[in-house]
Amino acid sequence: MRPAVTTLAMLFALLPTFAFGVLVHAQRGGRGAQAAPPTPRAAAPFDLSGQWVSLITEDWRHRQFTPAKGDYAPLPLSPAARKIADSWDPAKDQAVGEQCKAYGAAGLMRLPTRIRIAWEDDTTLKLEADAGTQTRTFHFSAPQGTGGDWQGVSSATWDAPRAPFAGRGGGPSFGGSLKVVTTRMKPGYLRKNGVPYTANAVLTEYFDRFDVPGGDSLLVVTSELVDTENLMTPYWTSQQFKRENGTTGWNPTPCAAR
Amino acid sequence: MKSARGLISAGLMTLCVTLSGQAPQIPTAIPGQAPPVDLSGYWSPVLHEDLMERGAGSELADYGGFPLNEAGRLWALSYDPSRVTLRHHQCEAYLAPYQMRALGNFRIWEEREEHTQRLVAIHIWAQTTEGHRIVWMDGRPHPPAWAPHTFRGFSTGQFVGNTLVVRTTHMKNGALRRGNGVPQSDQATLTEFFVRHDDHLTNVTVVTDPVFLSEPIVRSNDFYRQPVDPGAWLYACDDGEQILDRAKDDVPHYLFGKQPFAREFAARYKLPLAASLLGGVTMYPELATRLRTVTNVEADALLAPIGGRSPETSKGVDPEPHDGSIHIWPVRDNVYMLIGDGGNIVVQTGDQGAFVVDTGEGTMSEKVIAAIRTLTNKPIQFIANTNFRREHTGGNAALGAAGQDPSLPGSFFLVQSPRGVTGFFDDPLKHATMMAHVNVQVRMQATGAPAGAVPADTYLDDRRRKFHNGDAIELFHQANAVTDGDSLVHFRRADVIVAGDIFTTTQYPVIDLKSGGSVQGLIAALNDILERTVYRHQGEGGTYIVPGHGYLADEHEVVEYRDMVVIVRDRIKALIEAGAALQQVKAARVTADYDTQFGANTGPWTTDMFIEAVYTSLKAAPAKR
Repeated sequence: MRPAVTTLAMLFALLPTFAFGVLVHAQRGGRGAQAAPPTPRAAAPFDLSGQWVSLITEDWRHRQFTPAKGDYAPLPLSPAARKIADSWDPAKDQAVGEQCKAYGAAGLMRLPTRIRIAWEDDTTLKLEADAGTQTRTFHFSAPQGTGGDWQGVSSATWDAPRAPFAGRGGGPSFGGSLKVVTTRMKPGYLRKNGVPYTANAVLTEYFDRFDVPGGDSLLVVTSELVDTENLMTPYWTSQQFKRENGTTGWNPTPCAAR
Repeated sequence: MKSARGLISAGLMTLCVTLSGQAPQIPTAIPGQAPPVDLSGYWSPVLHEDLMERGAGSELADYGGFPLNEAGRLWALSYDPSRVTLRHHQCEAYLAPYQMRALGNFRIWEEREEHTQRLVAIHIWAQTTEGHRIVWMDGRPHPPAWAPHTFRGFSTGQFVGNTLVVRTTHMKNGALRRGNGVPQSDQATLTEFFVRHDDHLTNVTVVTDPVFLSEPIVRSNDFYRQPVDPGAWLYACDDGEQILDRAKDDVPHYLFGKQPFAREFAARYKLPLAASLLGGVTMYPELATRLRTVTNVEADALLAPIGGRSPETSKGVDPEPHDGSIHIWPVRDNVYMLIGDGGNIVVQTGDQGAFVVDTGEGTMSEKVIAAIRTLTNKPIQFIANTNFRREHTGGNAALGAAGQDPSLPGSFFLVQSPRGVTGFFDDPLKHATMMAHVNVQVRMQATGAPAGAVPADTYLDDRRRKFHNGDAIELFHQANAVTDGDSLVHFRRADVIVAGDIFTTTQYPVIDLKSGGSVQGLIAALNDILERTVYRHQGEGGTYIVPGHGYLADEHEVVEYRDMVVIVRDRIKALIEAGAALQQVKAARVTADYDTQFGANTGPWTTDMFIEAVYTSLKAAPAKR
């Protein structure tokens, strides 16, 4: 009897996994669909909206000030990228209207800035930065636009750990992160002193909100930049922001090449 | 059947989650519950940020991005990196926040209760300094304020959604930033968030430190998963002599305003001097605006204490319980610390009577006696006093009267000196024997203490020894420290030193000049403690030190305290040599970097009194040792 009971119990324990898969399948328009799937906005595991200020507590000198030419440590630059960076000429950038090169998606989040995040509609998040007066748009639906500008094209998903064989729906999740993949950026600077990234670079970011018990709400953006032409390895960093109440401090400024 | 019921239950729970609302609430795991994300495995740090700090070490006077308050900035400016050449600093481990930024491999594993498989703890092993952190997941509380501090502190954790949230308290004093003196105090707390994205682990640290920071500092650390054991996990360290013939009271530091490298960082990178010295604003976008308004005079002023201010006061947690109870903290083996009646009390138990060191203020003696009764059914046989001050002898009469010394009746000594070796003229069958340096006896008699409160078993020279309850107990006289009658009491087998007021974790040392105290004697006494300690691992553990007031410590707290007294002495000495009068010394705020830790402007021992005692001590003839 004992093995039979155990087997039955195991089957019963696995049942919800399959049930969930069926449920999600149905929600996505399968035969007999009853309810529409939640919109990305409704499915958000946490609230990202509001104004956040960057906390420049790491790589402080490189981020609060424009480093000198040749100051690239510890970026994993390829020799080709180093050569390009060594020819950095901010005056020339300014003169030809390329002063926003350091304000593209791959560099923007590391600048001293305030950002505002808001839902543009049920499937689109908008992130504005006052540094350089830039706007990024995260699409949960099919990416819009062709890119080629500083902020490129960003597709977004809610990302949570799920078992690979947990059914079509992936099983239940607990919490989660906003995952944003950005491509087709206009070539820009990873660091203000001319460290380049190309149009083929792929930026993957995870946005997580952490609430310090009895303290601040934090937004941490963990990013990976892959640019095989300029970087010997993926470039990993994480940037932190603190939530602000109200709009004080918002100070849109134009891009500056220096 | 039991496991089958568990599976059914798990299935139902999962089903409930599945069928619940479409906008999931982030759940908080109950203690012991299986984690929603697996953090275990081998992890290596990604060093794409702050490589200088994490590699060669931070540059001097580079405090940008750190919300240091005045005390924190001055502490860092006073710091001379060659301090690590001192024996007791050589092998210090990293504090938990920096540990997570250090080089080297990390390993994370779960500890589960064997029979229930409930999650008990998550262990984190860091190769550098062999940092072993234990994050308790079973809902246990944090220890009380008088519990020991460690470099990694005491951590408890909880899963919130897919994030492990960890709270850490009871860390030691140490470096918030490696290599350039940015300090973190023993009052700091740490909140961490661990979140995993595939094979990428992010650890966010939030340090709150009322002593040295004006607001919390948030940093993040990235790790990548190693598929196989990297095989490098150790970090051997033993201290040794690095500079021969250095005086024991030589602690490398810079006088306020005399840090020779304070301008080097700014000059090297062509930054305004104030840029890295402005504290909290350096973290924010407003820094650029702020720098436009800082004059050179204002920038230079950041290199020394701001004049005309009253001393800051301690931001530390009061370690006294103040709850009308006596609390017992097991120190090691058969040695216990009793907290609650003013000065700390130590009790050693065994097959003989209790050996008690110090008796508190005496306002709660009945409860102290009751607490001792819970530790042993033997009488209080011996009482030793570390000095004559009331916080340590106030309970002598009551505890003495509650004890007895069965080794005396019928002995030669009692025949020669009836009742003369216990409290004065007390019957040894009705009174414990009380011992101390002879100057304790002299000073207590001079203050008119009742005979039953005055130690009669005294010693005159440097050392008194006694084997009791299976341990060798030694009293070492510390001449002219807090007073002229101070003793250290060392339980050699248990390896516990009772320091009396020579060392506390709560206040500047009392230097009772009228009772024979001196700053040089105090420094010598602190060094004498350090001569007797052996750490267990990476500069902590090993010999325990029971302070006169405050939490149970080890040599790390003593060496930090010794450094503080030496540094303050050196500053006052330099001012005296420059012709400064006492008021000028006080106005110079020579303790500005320590006041948020130890300062007091009211009460029986203020910062001003400490400064005056050091000043007067130095102006007087050098104390004899």
